[in-house]
Amino acid sequence: MRSETRTEALWQFGSYIFLLTIVVLVLIPLYWMLVAATIPQSEFFSWPPRVIPGTQWFANFQALQENVNFVRSIGNSIFISVSYTILSLILCSMAGFAFAKYEFTFKEPLFYFILATLVLPIQILIIPLFLLMVQIGWTNSYLAVILPWAANPLGIFLMRQNMKAIPDSLLESARMDGATEFQLYYKIALPTMLPSLAALSIILFLNQWQAFLYPLVILQDPQMYTIPLALAELVGQQRVYFDQIMVATSLAVTPIFVVFLTMQQYFIKGILSGSVKQ
Amino acid sequence: MATIDITNLCKAFGDGDEQVIAVEDFTLTIEDGEFLVFVGPSGCGKTTTLRCIAGLEDATDGSIEFDGLDVTDQRARDRDVAMVFQNYALYPHMTVRKNIGFPLRLSTRQSSDEIDAQVEDVASMLGIVELLDQKPKELSGGQQQRVALGRAIVRDPEVFLMDEPLSNLDAKLRSTMRTELQELQQDLGVTTAYVTHDQTEAMAMGDRIAVLNDGQLQQVGTASEVYRSPTNEFVASFIGSPSINTFTATVDGNVLDGPGGFEYELANSGPVDGLDEVRVGIRPEDMTLESEGSMPSHVTVVEEMGNENFLYAEMGPVDLTARIESKMHPEAGMAVDFGFEEDDLYLFDVNSSESLKTKTSETDVEYEEYVQADH
Repeated sequence: MRSETRTEALWQFGSYIFLLTIVVLVLIPLYWMLVAATIPQSEFFSWPPRVIPGTQWFANFQALQENVNFVRSIGNSIFISVSYTILSLILCSMAGFAFAKYEFTFKEPLFYFILATLVLPIQILIIPLFLLMVQIGWTNSYLAVILPWAANPLGIFLMRQNMKAIPDSLLESARMDGATEFQLYYKIALPTMLPSLAALSIILFLNQWQAFLYPLVILQDPQMYTIPLALAELVGQQRVYFDQIMVATSLAVTPIFVVFLTMQQYFIKGILSGSVKQ
Repeated sequence: MATIDITNLCKAFGDGDEQVIAVEDFTLTIEDGEFLVFVGPSGCGKTTTLRCIAGLEDATDGSIEFDGLDVTDQRARDRDVAMVFQNYALYPHMTVRKNIGFPLRLSTRQSSDEIDAQVEDVASMLGIVELLDQKPKELSGGQQQRVALGRAIVRDPEVFLMDEPLSNLDAKLRSTMRTELQELQQDLGVTTAYVTHDQTEAMAMGDRIAVLNDGQLQQVGTASEVYRSPTNEFVASFIGSPSINTFTATVDGNVLDGPGGFEYELANSGPVDGLDEVRVGIRPEDMTLESEGSMPSHVTVVEEMGNENFLYAEMGPVDLTARIESKMHPEAGMAVDFGFEEDDLYLFDVNSSESLKTKTSETDVEYEEYVQADH
């Protein structure tokens, strides 16, 4: 009995050491990014490497701002990501609700068709989409970045799976209480789906926040650049602005941390919900 | 309050070869203010019928009228019907107060103060005022049940529909809620259709009982009618607990000959005239232990219930159940003889299962007469 608890304790100790090592390995580059953002580029490759942050952050930021108007890019990224997330949440939850709770002709084939689009790589879609946007005259617009991806197949799939867990009697009961079909959606289905919506919103937001290839093609005006595009600008043919890149990336990952840390409980709940029958 | 007329209602699911007929040619009138119970084994179409009345299922054929107004094609939300579901279907994200007030906020133009007042009235009627600010998941099954009732009552609907509302409660709570529900329905006087698979619940609660089987209405009547005068063998065996004993006997003039040495001479052979065979039914509570009865049997199991004993016995190949006094406890393996009164005998047609003879014993005994008689 005693030896068993000892082995158990040893195992636990071992696994903590293992996890701690991984955490350190993950944190080192992040920490280096923060340090590197505060030192001049000349010290960038010094040996031994700097571990104490310097005082150059503001100067680096100013250079960045003059170089690529980074504040504007942050604004663009926030506007695009937030409006994309909201629009996509609405569309995905509505489609998911319909697929989960209504019967209509071609429901199954339509759903599998939507699922099938998940395997299409973005590279295939970019040229036709670009041509389409040129024809409509939307190039260089927020709309061109937001709209084509708003009905997200993964989002529709996730919402459909989760909405299936809503008992039919709940909706029927609301129907008898006098709710319209739309009220069923936004008064009953949506509120009970909050954790799943939160989880989905993280996925959608991050997708759009780090989107590179499509925005690169569709947004040509530097005033419209999102953060990933501005970052790419810093890697020139002649020179790479490491100091500015570090300032920019440290700013770029902040919202990801904020979003994930505030929503992570929902994220985990949302991913797990519906997996087990309760 | 409304009278519900269901005429030739049919409901089929699926189409073509895979069509399943859930309800077939169902005609019934539920009187204004009546408490009518649909009862039957699972899959008999009782819930489907209820859902057709609610408007949650479209009728394949036939019509449903509320007070003469055809509602067959009306949507559920336009019918002014409230329903209590088996799993209560409370909105998990709303407090009890919001749950009960939900139908009012949707269907009326009352101010939120008026709605709140109404919700509190209903809550105090059901004794759940202190729960108003809790969420459904914090409540016990019985409390959830009350909230579901409250949500149905608060609208003051024309019709109440209840789909096995007590089946998720434990036995003790179920019998308390049964009484409460009945009292509530009497106070409110709302026409109520209630679905259950439990014949005891049906007998105890319904003004009338509608017995269903295989999508067809078998019989509608009061508890005493369906118990004493079932229209066919199915109703006789479904109503009554323990279930009626039945077996096939040959007819020889006025003598019935059955398996395992069953022999009974009918005083009135009218019902079996011209028949070769007949199905015999005797209720466990009508069987008596006798020295020379017509049913020689062997005891297999005795269940002591305290107030009475259930005796399981074999008469040849036929399994019998008898309800006997608690002071009698014969042992397993013992040979016993059962007898019964002809008044209590049921006879059914072998082919159609229709009743040929049902109970004819007295039912209307005056109180004075009863207490003076020697018991």
